Amino acid sequence: MFLIGHGISVRSDLPIPEWLFGWAAAMVLVVSFVALAVLWPEPRLQKPTWHPLPGGIGRVLASRPVEIICGAIGVFLLGLTVYAGLRGTESTAANFAPIFIYVIFWLALVPLSVLFGDVFRAFNPWRAIGRAVAWVARTASRSELPAPLEYPAWLGRWPAAVGIFAFATIELIASNGDKPDSVAVAALAYSAVTFIGMALYGVDRWIDRAEAFSVYFNLFSRLSAVETRDREVGLRRPLSGLPRLEPLPGTVALVAVMIGSVSFDGFTGKRPWNSISPDIAQFFQDRGLSPQHALEATFMLGLIGAVLFVAGFYWLGVLGARSVGGGFSARRLAHEFVHSLVPIALAYVAAHYFTLLLFQGQAIVYLISDPLGKGSDIFGTADTQIDYTLIGANGTWYWQVAFVVAGHVAALMLAHDRALALYDDNRKAVRSQYWMLGVMVGFTSLALWLLSSANA
Amino acid sequence: MIFQIAHAGHWLTSVAYFLPVVAFLIWLAVTQFRERRREDR
Repeated sequence: MFLIGHGISVRSDLPIPEWLFGWAAAMVLVVSFVALAVLWPEPRLQKPTWHPLPGGIGRVLASRPVEIICGAIGVFLLGLTVYAGLRGTESTAANFAPIFIYVIFWLALVPLSVLFGDVFRAFNPWRAIGRAVAWVARTASRSELPAPLEYPAWLGRWPAAVGIFAFATIELIASNGDKPDSVAVAALAYSAVTFIGMALYGVDRWIDRAEAFSVYFNLFSRLSAVETRDREVGLRRPLSGLPRLEPLPGTVALVAVMIGSVSFDGFTGKRPWNSISPDIAQFFQDRGLSPQHALEATFMLGLIGAVLFVAGFYWLGVLGARSVGGGFSARRLAHEFVHSLVPIALAYVAAHYFTLLLFQGQAIVYLISDPLGKGSDIFGTADTQIDYTLIGANGTWYWQVAFVVAGHVAALMLAHDRALALYDDNRKAVRSQYWMLGVMVGFTSLALWLLSSANA
Repeated sequence: MIFQIAHAGHWLTSVAYFLPVVAFLIWLAVTQFRERRREDR
């Protein structure tokens, strides 16, 4: 792929071997677990507090005019992406569409959601268009629109899981997935699906449960201290948005796709994958697929395998927790603790794509002046270069380890807090978390191995 | 797959990453075994 520079560098002069960082991270988790068991005897995150921002700022930030302006910006950016993709240069690095979608939209919105809450909801172009169309239709007909269909309960977050999986397929598997015209066509196709969904089930219901990117960024925003309630922005305790996550069908699958797709992206750089993938591709070629399609089929198998591995590992922890007792079904426990995987998903995304965002994100400075890559210089920044000296290889590694450890400690806190609320006996609650600790240690080791320069 | 002794250094380094998981699983198994025995008594 065109996106170079995420972790492809040589580390030197680390004070201890990379794998020892993995051991240290596991120790931090164990110590955190013990500290939680001793110092955190009551649930603290289940009933979150919320205070509006002082001076009426919260009401201004969530006001209708601000919402309309943000929505218009979102619609403009979607339009620019499609236009640049279809009319701009075919060079991926010189076109606004792929850089904006894969770096700014997909990656930069993650830390923004964690810091400032659900910002994508405000800028969501599909929501803005849906609400605008509904308003125009209501005004023109001078009556209320017919009620939308009832969203099927069994559907839950499954459409979002499928949507994120489809995005990962285009990003990681499709051989032309980084081409500007492919990005534009994918954006148009996804827009069509979203408009149909909103027309059938209502704008807000589809956005809240099925629209993949809304659900994806909303999950990360639940880690944030910032939350909008009843048209007012306020502050709450960090992490406390996650325990209120409604346990809908498809949530475990969605989080497994989020972690599994990043894991697979890292795994494709490792020796086991590079040893076995040519044989699998040859298998598909022998059955009549072209070399390109055989490779895509191989990668698709790998991606599915990674998602199933993550889901299976989580279920292993759930089954272990169930063996402790308490009378809960495995399904119930899987839903009760799934929110604790969100910080892990954040840790994986942050650690894996940290340098990609830091370096390729700078490309947007020249692309806003020349979005089509055809020589224009609208804001006088078209000659800006990417500064690859912002951070060194060792510094990157330290940040990655910090992201991984912090994400898993946050996951432990969430799981511990939920266990205290769920089990009537604190001892049983802690014992159930032995298994979740195992899951966290496993995900930590996997993350650091994927990020490491070890290539066995 | 052929065992490649020349690359032992590579995969041993990778195995090292997952030793904490193995250690944890062993500890968990021992803990569970002890608790079951205690409950049986």
